[in-house]
Amino acid sequence: MNHSSNEKEPETIEPLRYISKTEVATIETELLRDYRFGQQQLIEIWGHACAIAITKVCEVNTNYTVHRCDLHNSLYLPLPEYEPTIFYPKRSPQSLHQDFTVQCEKMDIPFLSYLPTEVQLLNDAYNLVIDAILGPETDHKEVKEPYAGMLVTLKQVKIPIVSVDVPSGWDVDEPAKDGINPEVLISLTAPKKCATGFSGKHFLAGRFLPYDIQKKYELNLPEFPGTECVIEL
Amino acid sequence: MLGVRALFGIGLLVTSRGGSVLTHTGACAHVSSNIYSKGLAHRQACTMANTIKYLGQEEAQHIDEELFNEYSFSVDQLMELAGLSCATAVSKGYPLQSLLKSPPRVLVICGPGNNGGDGLVCARHLKLFGYEPSVLYPKRPNKQLFLNLTTQCEKMDISFLTEMPEADVIDEVYNLVVDAIFGFSFKGAVREPFGDILSQLKKITVPIASVDIPSGWDVENGCPDGIQPDMLISLTAPKKAANHFKGRYHFLGGRFVPPALEKKFQLNLPPYADTDCVYQLN
Repeated sequence: MNHSSNEKEPETIEPLRYISKTEVATIETELLRDYRFGQQQLIEIWGHACAIAITKVCEVNTNYTVHRCDLHNSLYLPLPEYEPTIFYPKRSPQSLHQDFTVQCEKMDIPFLSYLPTEVQLLNDAYNLVIDAILGPETDHKEVKEPYAGMLVTLKQVKIPIVSVDVPSGWDVDEPAKDGINPEVLISLTAPKKCATGFSGKHFLAGRFLPYDIQKKYELNLPEFPGTECVIEL
Repeated sequence: MLGVRALFGIGLLVTSRGGSVLTHTGACAHVSSNIYSKGLAHRQACTMANTIKYLGQEEAQHIDEELFNEYSFSVDQLMELAGLSCATAVSKGYPLQSLLKSPPRVLVICGPGNNGGDGLVCARHLKLFGYEPSVLYPKRPNKQLFLNLTTQCEKMDISFLTEMPEADVIDEVYNLVVDAIFGFSFKGAVREPFGDILSQLKKITVPIASVDIPSGWDVENGCPDGIQPDMLISLTAPKKAANHFKGRYHFLGGRFVPPALEKKFQLNLPPYADTDCVYQLN
């Protein structure tokens, strides 16, 4: 028998795939249309997994500010003793998002009425910023206000940024040259092309994807340990 | 910290955040805010388990209503978390490596209401955790939520049985049974086919893990000649029937109770560790 000096070589494991913007949209459509997942369900799964990933990067008793749409993961943060503050400038009229807002308010999660442009204030008051502003569905070339302004502020903060799914303002298919620079990226479902070569901490969150979809898109997702829904890449 | 926040100016909706965090842990005053010393938390939890509130049926229903009406949670959301808790508890009590039969087959029996929905979610997560669940779902409500959950299971290659197997077949084929038939709204007589299903369950020797209430039991008084599950996964808070539970594993799941609601009903929930979605009560 021939043995190499490395006992268990994972030569048969295919590498994890980084997916494109169009693939993100197609997979989501399939999940909703064919697999009958609900929007609320998916957001619940993603938000829950995201919050868990965040606890892996920071200690307890830290203050956060969360930007916009992932209201959802901020719902979980108080549970392990974190103190999130949300900035949610453009409220979606969808009742789904309104429900999430109420849930947060009823958990006594404060909502900022404006985001200070004075970066030092953010640096002093918070330990960490969770960037959940723009997702893979946005057109990175046409970022409107107030988001463009927020991104300018984010580029200057000294406290770490944790981006959810795609760093806001980045092109989903290519790493950004002059975009915001997060220290941590939490990819949802599967990592996107722009995350190739991401130098910070990179987590994959959300353990729910049916095996058929994984196979169809050749995602080659890593094996989550035990009952965990987050894995560090 | 407070000084800097005051600089943010008028209109800032910052509540006395420090105060409310203390309140959250205040219910269990002797638990330190740093819950990361797990050993300490466990010892303290053992004493605390005695002070957790066990709910009556009406109270359980009021809490549910408040979660949906006041707190704007949706059934989908909470069901997803409940089902995930159940699957997590099952994997803690019956880890894959400990199962005697291969493949790791589990039978999930889903009833006609929300308890059944919890079971469908549980089955899907069990599959993702590496188990081989099969579902028996004889009475399916014609609501979109349940139709969707069923499709999600089917698309995960979870087989749906057409009839309840006999007790000896269950013992031969499955490692355990998840009982997701009746929940805390159960009242009165058991309608078929569930009567027959419950009598089969009384004869099996493999463990039963019941979701929220052992099916067929009175939600407050239990049922001495009903099924005797090995595991009970109480959702949100335990119900009074759990006082009669004699199995090995009692887990609390459904980690979504807002602190204000917990305080209002004086639930005295134990501190879940880290990001765990279940807490072992015994």
